[in-house]
Amino acid sequence: MRNSSLTILLLALLICILSVISIFSSTYQRESQSWQNIYQRQILWIILGVALFFTVSRINYRRFWDWNYFFYISSLFFLLLVLILGSVRLGAQRWLRLGWFNFQPSELVKIVMVIFLARYYSLKNADNVSLLSEKFGFFRALALPLFFVIIPMGLIIEQPDLGTGLIILFLFISMIYLSNVKLRHILILLGSILSFMPFAWYFLRDYQKDRLMVFLNPNIDPLGAGYTVIQSKIAIGSGGFWGKGWLSGTQSQLRFLPEAHTDFIFATFSEEWGFLGGIVLLLLYYLLIRQGFLIAQRTRDHFGKLMAFGISLLLSLQVMINIAMNMGFAPIVGIPLPLMSYGGSSMFVTFVALGILANIDKRRSVF
Amino acid sequence: MGRFKIAIWFLNAAFLLIMSGLFNLEIIQGRNLRGLGDKNCIRLISQRGSRGRILDRNGLVIAGNKISYDLMLTPQDYRQQDELAFKISRILNKDPKGLDSVIRRSYSLSSMPVVIASNLKLREAVALGQLRIDYPCITVQANPIRDYPNIKLACHLLGYLGEIDRWRLTKLEDYGYKTKDLVGFGGLEEKYDYYLRDEEGGISFQVDHRGRLVRTLGFKPPVNGKDIEVTIDIRVQKIAEDALGGRRGAVVIMNPYSGEIIALASSPGFNPEVFLGKESSSVLRLFKDPAAPLINRAISGLYPAGSVFKLVVASAALESKKINQHSSFFCQGSLRVGRQEFKCWGTHGEQDIIAAIAHSCNVFFYKSGLLAGPLAIHDYALRLGFSHPTGFDIPYEKQGFIPSPLLRKISAFRNWFDGDTANLSIGQGEVLVTPLQVARMMAAFANNGYMVTPYITKSIDGKNLSRYHKKPERLNLKPKTLSLIREGLRSAVSEPSGTASILSSTGVSVAGKTGTAQAPPKQSHAWFSGFFPYKEPKFVMVVFLENGGPGYYSCLIAKQIIEGMKAQGLI
Repeated sequence: MRNSSLTILLLALLICILSVISIFSSTYQRESQSWQNIYQRQILWIILGVALFFTVSRINYRRFWDWNYFFYISSLFFLLLVLILGSVRLGAQRWLRLGWFNFQPSELVKIVMVIFLARYYSLKNADNVSLLSEKFGFFRALALPLFFVIIPMGLIIEQPDLGTGLIILFLFISMIYLSNVKLRHILILLGSILSFMPFAWYFLRDYQKDRLMVFLNPNIDPLGAGYTVIQSKIAIGSGGFWGKGWLSGTQSQLRFLPEAHTDFIFATFSEEWGFLGGIVLLLLYYLLIRQGFLIAQRTRDHFGKLMAFGISLLLSLQVMINIAMNMGFAPIVGIPLPLMSYGGSSMFVTFVALGILANIDKRRSVF
Repeated sequence: MGRFKIAIWFLNAAFLLIMSGLFNLEIIQGRNLRGLGDKNCIRLISQRGSRGRILDRNGLVIAGNKISYDLMLTPQDYRQQDELAFKISRILNKDPKGLDSVIRRSYSLSSMPVVIASNLKLREAVALGQLRIDYPCITVQANPIRDYPNIKLACHLLGYLGEIDRWRLTKLEDYGYKTKDLVGFGGLEEKYDYYLRDEEGGISFQVDHRGRLVRTLGFKPPVNGKDIEVTIDIRVQKIAEDALGGRRGAVVIMNPYSGEIIALASSPGFNPEVFLGKESSSVLRLFKDPAAPLINRAISGLYPAGSVFKLVVASAALESKKINQHSSFFCQGSLRVGRQEFKCWGTHGEQDIIAAIAHSCNVFFYKSGLLAGPLAIHDYALRLGFSHPTGFDIPYEKQGFIPSPLLRKISAFRNWFDGDTANLSIGQGEVLVTPLQVARMMAAFANNGYMVTPYITKSIDGKNLSRYHKKPERLNLKPKTLSLIREGLRSAVSEPSGTASILSSTGVSVAGKTGTAQAPPKQSHAWFSGFFPYKEPKFVMVVFLENGGPGYYSCLIAKQIIEGMKAQGLI
């Protein structure tokens, strides 16, 4: 029983060690002291994250059922606050300045949406036996939750942070799928999303259109929008089988690769540790996500089950999209690699999510 | 829960996809992408080695190297130092404002030195070198460049150097050639460019994404090109070129036994150094010159052979037993073939083969040509090396043309008449030969019937190439044929009435044949082809003057050359 929470923590910490190593390597040649010490900050985030993990794993996850609306409302509040007060970095307004810590509310929204959707779809009948979600009509199965999803999603896309917005949409689709909503309803949703796609083009910002075009063909603008993809592919590819060795990756060290310590940390890591390192890292993620799915499978309580699903899905979506974008398989969207990329918000939210996961496994025998 | 299993499958599939993507990038495309990564961050301050020298048979330099000084400036450390700009411009006598624009024009990286002045005078180089003590951003680099100590001498044999063109680049990319490389055009420089070219070395260093120097990686010393020794004797070459004196024409002097070329001159020449300079106007002038100075007339010029071709007719007729040493024909000054009157240049009376060669009697050769027939003449012309390249080791050799009735039937659907045979017999009509082909034919008479392959390369990088040269081939001509023709050639010089009798006064026993090839509407081409000394020939010589008048003028030049060689004790 305690085993699973230990395994989760162990896997997460292993990934965090690789993260610190890579962040150190990508920044140690920078001129300024604050850049060079960035890995120390990451260590601090990790320590705080582990503390959060222990705290959250001691809180009975059933309490989230009751706190759900509070979480939802406050995350909307934070998102609105970002739009009004947020600091602009890298052309996007995603951060809230809380003293010395820059907080990214969209990270928080991800986990809040998991809790919200898990609660919604595990509502039960008065007899407390059968799940309501299987019998939901169109309105209660789709329209109503979609309304609740679209508000934060819209706010996030407005920041603009298309990636996180789309992750929430993906999350929604997969959660309704897993909560046994009628297949007909899901198909209706997918159909309407697809038919909306051509119009979506007009809502995209110019740089997002550029990124999409560049994703289709990176060579149309090798020094502009396509630069990052090309450099990232070069970085990963030049690792070869064994990698160039720690502190010897020219792409990240000599700063040909932008964002080498955040969104493109996978490229930094692969350049120095090669195919071997990449496979090890992927394996660690796989085992971590598998733990989540196994917990979901073991849990009888529907709320816990759906929440465990949601958390595992959230993790796997972020890992997949980030690595795919590093390798040029996906367009560039600002999605960090959980536990690897530099950044406090992502680190905290990931550890909180893992804490919830650990708690679900701890409590499952109670029900 | 079916949906749950599907979700797990999706997850596994996604992980497999990512892993295979990683495999593709790092293992399959790895080497390729690593090259791109290195290209990102590794730069080279190149240092050229010197190109291989071209030496004559005695080791004297025909094309060597000299040092050229370039002024280079590292933009990273420069940053608008007006004082320095002023000092540099004062030494170079240039406008200080121009300096900035030069830097901006050739700027590539802040750590990559920019050449701001090349080909400095030694005095300027020393003065600028002293500036380096105060301003470490400037460097005076010594680069070896091609030097031609004898200016125009043997320019056609050498060829010239120029920036590689697109066509050559696509062909030679795999051999390590790059854009802006200097490569040889024409002559030895082109043929042996791969051996002559130096291997670029330099300091390689690592730069960051802004092009700033991170650290130096190492120094790769440049490798000099390999020297090539040729069979040319520059003293003879100089005598020959002086004798031509800029008139359009060519001289070939060859060893009759081995085929080594002692001198091969084509005139007018050009100064290969012009192509090293940046002045395109003088290069353009060379290309536009109506005298075509860039053409190597000795191997790439095609001309009617004229009377020189009579030796082919003589051997064809003698070998096919249509005539012998006792046959003689009567020359009345012309011969009627069919409905046409074919003229001789004089009225020679009774002529046997020796006298006919000596007097170059057309009537005799019309008659023996008609006896032998055009097919036999064509056959012997080919055996004596016409109508195909000689195999000489300098590029752009022309193969020439010898007409034949069969060929005309097949390709032009026209008939062959006896008049054509008569024309062929005196080397007129469609006959086209190069001076080198004529020299090769003459060598066969000088060396008693062996066909040699002319060559010019003696050794590359000290390695003797004689093993690789083609051995002379026996022609299977009858000794009688050879001795008759040789006697004829000798009496053309020794007899007072011989066409080349002017050469009898040189003090060397010369044998030879003149030729005057009609080239209407212009003046005729003047040929002389011969060998000396008569008993033991050491040299075969061909003198050709394009539109130079009668063969007599070529004899004059031949005389000048032979006298010059004798004066210097080269015979």
